Amino acid sequence: MAVTTQIEPRQVPSLGALINRHYSLVVSTISVLVFLALWQISADQGWINARYTSTPSAVARAALVIFRTDNFFYHAWVSLSEFGIGFALALVVSVPLGLVLGTSRSIRLFVEPPLMAMYTAPRLALLPILIVWLGIGMASKVAIVFLGAIFPIIVNTIAGVRDADPRLIQAARAFGATRLDIFTKILIPGCLPAILMGIRLGIGRGLLSVIVGEMFVSEAGIGYQIMTYGQGMQIDKLLVYAFVVSIFGYSLTLAVKLMEDHIRSWRPAS
Amino acid sequence: MIGVWRRHQALISGVTSFAIILAAWQLAVDFGLVKAFFVSSPALVTTQFIKQLHSGEVLTNLSVSLYEFAWGLGLAVVVGGACGIFASWSRTFEAVLEPFIWFKYSSPTIAFYPIFVAWLGLGEPTIIAISFIFAITPVYANTLSGIKNADPDLIRAARSFGARRHDLFLKVALPGSVPILVAGLRLAVGRALTGVVAAELFGATAGLGFAISFYGQKLKTNEMMVSLMLVVILGIIFNQLLSLLESATDSWRTGPGRAE
Repeated sequence: MAVTTQIEPRQVPSLGALINRHYSLVVSTISVLVFLALWQISADQGWINARYTSTPSAVARAALVIFRTDNFFYHAWVSLSEFGIGFALALVVSVPLGLVLGTSRSIRLFVEPPLMAMYTAPRLALLPILIVWLGIGMASKVAIVFLGAIFPIIVNTIAGVRDADPRLIQAARAFGATRLDIFTKILIPGCLPAILMGIRLGIGRGLLSVIVGEMFVSEAGIGYQIMTYGQGMQIDKLLVYAFVVSIFGYSLTLAVKLMEDHIRSWRPAS
Repeated sequence: MIGVWRRHQALISGVTSFAIILAAWQLAVDFGLVKAFFVSSPALVTTQFIKQLHSGEVLTNLSVSLYEFAWGLGLAVVVGGACGIFASWSRTFEAVLEPFIWFKYSSPTIAFYPIFVAWLGLGEPTIIAISFIFAITPVYANTLSGIKNADPDLIRAARSFGARRHDLFLKVALPGSVPILVAGLRLAVGRALTGVVAAELFGATAGLGFAISFYGQKLKTNEMMVSLMLVVILGIIFNQLLSLLESATDSWRTGPGRAE
């Protein structure tokens, strides 16, 4: 799946062969380039109003300005620490809780219904009340990130524990494993991919939460800047910040996905 | 007695669990552990709910949000489904869409809220657009993977009996992917609702998200809690409906291919 060892052919492949092999990549690149060109040309020609859409060249210029002068790193640091703290708290609470709930049916029966209610409800709706409780500073954003990220991780951890291979547990028992052994040597390694998948979903939810939280009310951060530039109709600068968040979110989820694939690759397909 | 417990264990525990939460909430306020100003209380929320029900506020907010939700979800299903089907037919089309889908997937959609306001104005059209964009990804992704991952044995069998391309699509791939499509729909429903509520928080003249934000800024916790509870209940109802649909569309399947 992830790692395919392939013997490279001796001769240099022709351009045609290269295009063939990376067909999707080539088409995707062309598609993005065409999109950017159309965007630029239609704004230059006045087919669309550049005031509302900006242009790729204006966005590139705005990016230079922002990275140099806009206190960019300060705002990025604020958002990153809100996200980091909220996510770390979510991780610390959700994984042990998920393991316990996955193992114990009686506790799960009581805790799961409210848990699923929170999981399915739009948690961003809690934002105004979190502001009332915690103020407009960083604490309310940490809380909304925490609430956004915690439920996917719990739910996936529970699913991971429950899907643990019963044959492995039986085999371990037959060889005299204690409850603790089964827990640390079978259940935890066994549900690691599921936990990572929960983390991957949680990253997306957490990032969305921090941006929405900052856009709603705040004093600093990427979301604050997005709202400021949006209200001032500076679409080019707004897009730069939106791209930064996208790239960050994409890299983070990709990293977790690669870890997931790596962990899955050494276990036999069930 | 034990038999009743065994059979309805999940239901009884679930109801008990919610009852305990409500009781703890009410008692904590009654005994002064937390101030009602901050957390309201079940009794206060109920009184306020009845008041808003009589004044028609509940009905207005609910119908506005549901109207926007229905448009957002409907558009996402039509556009996302169509794009998914085309992408499953053509590798080129899939590759053309791929970078934009990925960008959309990893970007915080709500960041584009100010742009939508600039294009569509404050209110309904913008909220529908945000809800649509929130919901489209799972519909597209699940349609694509559902059709593409159709059982190759079934495809081969159908081919050897002379099935044509559109036969394969209509009679094998599409019915075979129904559970995955429904799973995508379930995700989309949740996201469309989140999109509506989140967009309404920022700017609207009616709707549940608007009411939460409006009363929140005035620090009227009781009034805010009514709409907050309605949002949570709406989320639960939609999710239950979709899981019923999921098990209904999956029930004819047997054997190891059955989705859980």
